[in-house]
Amino acid sequence: MEVLALLDCLSTPACLLSQAVGGLKIGMLLFLVASGLTLIFGVLGVINFAHGILYMLGAYFAWQSMTLTGHFGFSVLVGALGVGIFGLAFERGLIKRIYESDLLIQILLCYSIILIMDDLVMIIWGDEFLSSIGVPEIFQVPPLFIFDAIIPPFHLAIIATSLLIAILLWILMTKSRFGSLVRAAAINPKMLEALGVNTNFIRYSVFALGSFLAGLGGALAASERSIVSQMGNSILIESFIVTVIGGMGSIGGAFLASLIIGMARSFGAVAMPLFTDGLMFIIMILVLILRPQGIMGGKK
Amino acid sequence: MNPFIRDSYKKDAFYSVISWITLLSLYFIFNDHGIQDIITKVAILGLFAMSLNILVGYLGLIAFGHATFFAAGAYTLGLFLQSDFVNIYNIGPWSIPIALILSILLPGILATIIGAICIRLREIYFSFLTLAFQMVIYSIILALVSITGGDQGLMGGFSKPPFLGIDLGNHFHFYAFTTFIVILAIFLMRQMIESPFGYGLRLIRDNHERPAALGFNIRSHQLLAFIIAGSLAGLAGSLQALLDVGAYPEWAFWSKSAEPLFMILLGGMQTFLGPLLGALIFELLNDFVTANTRYYGLILGLVILFFVLGFRRGLLDWIILKGRKN
Amino acid sequence: MLVLKNVTKSFGGIMATKDISMKLKPGSINAIIGPNGAGKTTLFNLITGKIKSDTGNIFIGNKNITSLSEVEITRLGIARAFQITNIFPTFTVKESIMAAILAKYNGLHNVWLRFKSHPVQEESENVAKITGLEKVLNIRGEELSHGDQKLLDIALALAMKPKILLLDEPTAGMGPEERRKMINKVKELWKKTKMTLVFIEHDMDIVFDVAQKVFVLQQGKILAEGLPKEIKKNQGVIDAYLGGGQKR
Repeated sequence: MEVLALLDCLSTPACLLSQAVGGLKIGMLLFLVASGLTLIFGVLGVINFAHGILYMLGAYFAWQSMTLTGHFGFSVLVGALGVGIFGLAFERGLIKRIYESDLLIQILLCYSIILIMDDLVMIIWGDEFLSSIGVPEIFQVPPLFIFDAIIPPFHLAIIATSLLIAILLWILMTKSRFGSLVRAAAINPKMLEALGVNTNFIRYSVFALGSFLAGLGGALAASERSIVSQMGNSILIESFIVTVIGGMGSIGGAFLASLIIGMARSFGAVAMPLFTDGLMFIIMILVLILRPQGIMGGKK
Repeated sequence: MNPFIRDSYKKDAFYSVISWITLLSLYFIFNDHGIQDIITKVAILGLFAMSLNILVGYLGLIAFGHATFFAAGAYTLGLFLQSDFVNIYNIGPWSIPIALILSILLPGILATIIGAICIRLREIYFSFLTLAFQMVIYSIILALVSITGGDQGLMGGFSKPPFLGIDLGNHFHFYAFTTFIVILAIFLMRQMIESPFGYGLRLIRDNHERPAALGFNIRSHQLLAFIIAGSLAGLAGSLQALLDVGAYPEWAFWSKSAEPLFMILLGGMQTFLGPLLGALIFELLNDFVTANTRYYGLILGLVILFFVLGFRRGLLDWIILKGRKN
Repeated sequence: MLVLKNVTKSFGGIMATKDISMKLKPGSINAIIGPNGAGKTTLFNLITGKIKSDTGNIFIGNKNITSLSEVEITRLGIARAFQITNIFPTFTVKESIMAAILAKYNGLHNVWLRFKSHPVQEESENVAKITGLEKVLNIRGEELSHGDQKLLDIALALAMKPKILLLDEPTAGMGPEERRKMINKVKELWKKTKMTLVFIEHDMDIVFDVAQKVFVLQQGKILAEGLPKEIKKNQGVIDAYLGGGQKR
């Protein structure tokens, strides 16, 4: 373990800042994906193991749009909306059949979708890596130098965008009628149905929203990373870690946990480059042992 | 259809011997390395899946991280056989038997530690925690490159010195030995499942509250089952390591834990041999599909989807259920 | 034999059990009556250790069991049947009772024998006969009729050969004929084993016919206790609960 390297970095403003910004970026993108996952679990009671697929599709859709239109913003939107629609279809077609089923059935259904989609994208887009869709032109500028730290403005844009989405999500959930319906459905769906509310609508719109968020995360990630089948797998695991640490069903918890994991990744890469993943799981283990309901999870 | 069948270990011993002899005959009947290897692979995976089913099918605990012990068994055997122990203590002919025993004990100890921590949580949290431990072990395997070979896996191979007249370098000997060990393990599992201990497992699965009101401590029972399941998975892993003359970190990755779950789904979790049948279906599917198309995931995914939405249970379970209805 | 001293229990802000003290003589038959929500089942849960009291002490004989776990308390000789049937769906009647007989004495730790041919089979069949389940020995719990499930729940408790038996509404859901039979069987068993019997009941005929002592619970407190004939005449009890001969 490279303790010295870590201490060195923490005491150098340049390293500290650049790692912190990096961690923030990782955390915010992770939040987009994980918030969808925790929302779906909180309201629908389903653990969407196929969530990584949604992220992956967001990247692929965005890439396709970029290839056709060359417009970054539009492509990101296409990616997110495309996945939102896919999520809608997924929920109506498959998920709704397994709401009352065993955990094992849910897992296996989702895993089968992972297997199918991973191959399907290879069939459609080929099995080669697709290069990233690239950073939009506005941001193709020299990096900023803050305290000697190298900060790409695009990273700041991603952080800002994600924060904006987080705030919009918060407003939606707490201030809108839709939000209160969703929160009520999370607590007592039967009662809501008895009151004449169309719970089916809530189900698929929540799933579509969760998918939209994951797709958005994937589309944004596509700006800097190459696109390949199975790219959803590691984000899936991280989203789960975030969801567990933050509390299953809590969006606020997912936000905090995403920040923690983002920072752990960023600084962990300095302190233990070969064991960074392990570090995240150790955090998850500690949370599960000491406070299984997560940072902001209620006792179920 | 529920007669109180006069079952006994003698009957099972008889079936075990017959099965082994049958498998040995199949070796000569087919006389084709391809088919013989499939049987060996199915035996190993079947043991792995059946060990998980102790938890999933009989105890009702869905462990996501079972491959931890499979990998632990594999690396234990590999590292032991590569180590200097063999030379220093000049145990030559005993190295493999000792390695196998260690591959049961060490994963067992690991299962004791992990189990003691995980068992305290319920349901989905238990499942996640077992997965988290697995991924930590995976990360450790990758990180300790000098010992484990990192992402390349255990390199350099190891020798398989003959013991008790058995030469594992000989294809037939290996086949006979592996099938023997697996059948023996299955026989022991059978005894455990049909004993009061095994019924205690089902008791817990059926009702979590009532056992305490009967004076029965659930926790220790669950932990014991977890340890036994882990030890058997370790044995399966060690056999795999002997087969492949190596050990690979992929065996500790979470997808390796999903495979036995598929097998349990395909073959059925409520019947004793269900997972073994599932392993057979899985392996045949695997071989058939990879021979004809590269899109193995697509086909496997569709098959699983079909079982999940159509049957909603494993093949053997479905057959038994149909039988019960008549 | 069974003594409760100043036991209280609250859930959230609600006091389910308010300062209850009771003394039950060994070998006695006791009934606990009271309106729904009076805290009767909670009392059973406290005695068997399913939940822990906030204050107070509970004794079996001289032993203070207040801080013991449910498993430990059960092993001291308490058995209990549940109000809402709590059985093992995939176990047959015979298998369930066998399991109940084996559970306490670590019989379920055994890996050498075969469960199905275990010697306790015979005892299991006896218990089934006592509770009238001999015709459904090989039927799985989930396939039993509701009434039989209730009988099985009681059979599981009886199988444990307890020194103290707690029955939570044992005749609920049964017709009058069945009730008579059930209670007579339990009474026979009591005569043979001299166990301390406590049952929660709504059927007043049974209560006044069988019980040696009656405790009336209301809103977590003991409203009255005494011999059946005393309770019948107790004005407070009549007003609060018995009313116009309230029967189930």
